[in-house]
Amino acid sequence: MAYNWNWAIFLSETPSGESTYLGWLLTGLQWTVTLSLSAWIIALTVGSLFGVLRTVPNRWLSMLAAAYVETFRNVPLLVQLFLWYFVLPELLPRGMGDAFKQLNPLMQQYIAATLCLGLFTGARVSEQVRSGIGALPRGQRNAALALGLTLPQAYRHVMLPMAFRLVIPPLTSEFLNIFKNSAVATTIGLIELSRQAQQLVDYTAQPYEAFIAVTLMYVMINVTVMFFMRRLEQKVRVPGYLGGNPS
Amino acid sequence: MISIRQVSKSYGSFQVLSDCSTEIKKGEVIVVCGPSGSGKSTLIKCVNGLEPFQSGEIIVDGISVGDPRTKLSTLRARVGMVFQHFELFPHMTIVDNLTLAQVKVLGRSRDEAAEKGLKLLERVGLKAHANKHPGALSGGQQQRVAIARALSMDPIAMLFDEPTSALDPEMINEVLDVMVELANEGMTMMCVTHEMGFARKVAHRVIFMDQGRIVEDAPKDDFFGQPRSERAQQFLSKILHH
Repeated sequence: MAYNWNWAIFLSETPSGESTYLGWLLTGLQWTVTLSLSAWIIALTVGSLFGVLRTVPNRWLSMLAAAYVETFRNVPLLVQLFLWYFVLPELLPRGMGDAFKQLNPLMQQYIAATLCLGLFTGARVSEQVRSGIGALPRGQRNAALALGLTLPQAYRHVMLPMAFRLVIPPLTSEFLNIFKNSAVATTIGLIELSRQAQQLVDYTAQPYEAFIAVTLMYVMINVTVMFFMRRLEQKVRVPGYLGGNPS
Repeated sequence: MISIRQVSKSYGSFQVLSDCSTEIKKGEVIVVCGPSGSGKSTLIKCVNGLEPFQSGEIIVDGISVGDPRTKLSTLRARVGMVFQHFELFPHMTIVDNLTLAQVKVLGRSRDEAAEKGLKLLERVGLKAHANKHPGALSGGQQQRVAIARALSMDPIAMLFDEPTSALDPEMINEVLDVMVELANEGMTMMCVTHEMGFARKVAHRVIFMDQGRIVEDAPKDDFFGQPRSERAQQFLSKILHH
């Protein structure tokens, strides 16, 4: 195969002259990380809240939470993104819709993608939090209540600390997914990491180098996430429980 | 102190409790026994509102458990409960297990709660384990901690739901010893248990349940001497002679 490898391409200047191609990739990386982390904050907050609501003894609250989960995990992510970006601004009250459309386009893309990715992942986080709570022995809740703790106190001090420990491994998967899923934001024009790779190909005709570099950057993100989640898992490990050593 | 009046409960068409009534006076020790599925655990959980019931009423120290206006958490804070599977909170140290509710429910200061907790741990012989996690303790030790945890709330009565059924035979006595001591100090106790030795030693009355009904409610000596119902006779002959 006659392919001209040229790894030095990353150091050459872009046509506009204000950056190198590596600089482009790093800007893309920055957007991917910013978008994913802000979406993760939403996912974790909303997911925990609705995960808890699904387990409380109130039919309306648990139905509300179920409705959220089923809506957001059953509509394709790409469709959701188009709805947030193209449709929602039209449905908002006039003033808000216009205010949104007057934002700088990059901001519009960022807001729509963050909300979309955050609430989509939140639905999945919610199911995991629910399963963590469900996996606890039922007696734990009773023991907490029998001591006179209120139900919110029982969740806060007794059930959630254990439930979250149980679901760290699946939550790690969701955390990793959110970085990879963030690539859908290219479809509304956000120039994140995968979009920068395509752009590099268009400009340099060096597809192999571009995609190898981008792949390595995704790997780097994931290895970092796994490292921190592993550390977290070890730090909160309960002695004599879940594989921890007795103290 | 605890009156149970015509309490009935059903899951759909299955009657778990039917028309149960009894009275427990201050300082009395009551043992509740009966075959599995007879409703004894359900009955004891109704006393502190962990299980709802459909009809009848339960009054604990003048407060109606079934009344929707009753703040159950306040009532529960005053009635200690010990469970079959200990239910210590695994992510907290032993002493934190004992202080959590004292601080969050009774509003005691952390120091005050810890002092009280350590005193109770000393009483059940586990002060040296205060900073360990529950996973590092044996079943018998965990159950003694669970009793200490319930006592840390200065309860007016204690409920025991099969406190020794999940224990290795060797560990049963260490738990029963704590319970006997408690009974001798005049604690009002309602114990679901099959430990007939314990019943003989400290119970004032024995309640025998079968199929959701209180079949027999008699002073200890009458119950062991001549149980009136055939069902109770059968039950006793099965658990006492082999």
